[in-house]
Amino acid sequence: MKGIIGIGAMLGLLVILPSIQYVLAAGDSAGEYLDRRVVIWGLFYRLMIVAFTVGTVVSGLIVWLVLRFRESNPKATPTSYEASGSW
Amino acid sequence: MSGHSTWPEWVYVGVVIALLCYVGAEAWNIERIIEHVPEDAEIIKVTGQQWIWTFEHEDGTKEIGELHVEKGKAYKFEITSKDVIHSFNIHDYVVLLDAVPGRVNTVWFSPTDVGEFDIQCREYCGLIHYNMRGTLIVEDKGA
Repeated sequence: MKGIIGIGAMLGLLVILPSIQYVLAAGDSAGEYLDRRVVIWGLFYRLMIVAFTVGTVVSGLIVWLVLRFRESNPKATPTSYEASGSW
Repeated sequence: MSGHSTWPEWVYVGVVIALLCYVGAEAWNIERIIEHVPEDAEIIKVTGQQWIWTFEHEDGTKEIGELHVEKGKAYKFEITSKDVIHSFNIHDYVVLLDAVPGRVNTVWFSPTDVGEFDIQCREYCGLIHYNMRGTLIVEDKGA
């Protein structure tokens, strides 16, 4: 546990704090020309890929679970509790 | 514990956390980039009031309901309101920011195409909200 806390503290010092400092400092310098449409819609499409991938995996898992573990499935076997009749 | 293996659950939790981190970091970074105003951006003061938009350029030129800009130049909007909350939107250039009384909100953009584009209030602000519109007119440099 102490090791994990130690590693976390080191990461905080070596990575997170300099990153925050770099990002805050960047706000003081001038920005570059960009097309908001490209940047914003690009972000939207990337996040949609994440959202639909997660949605597909989660709904697919639920469908598989419902079908695989329904009582009428030929492969369904009673749990150890159901087999022994005692809980 | 039932004694079954829990590694699939931990993998699942790890993947979810990683995806959430990716989504948060990516959105935060893009927001940081688009808020970064170019040095030579011209400031245009935008004022919303029931139910018109007024614009004031750096040289003092004022426009009502129409905004003339040059293609390829950067513009920083300083948006405020005189009465209730409005929302300044140029749909074609993905510009959308609230106009709040007593507060100046800023957003910048650089038009890339010559033409006329709609400006519309996107915050319900009263009876004529639906018609609180304007026109963004993008012209070639020197036109």
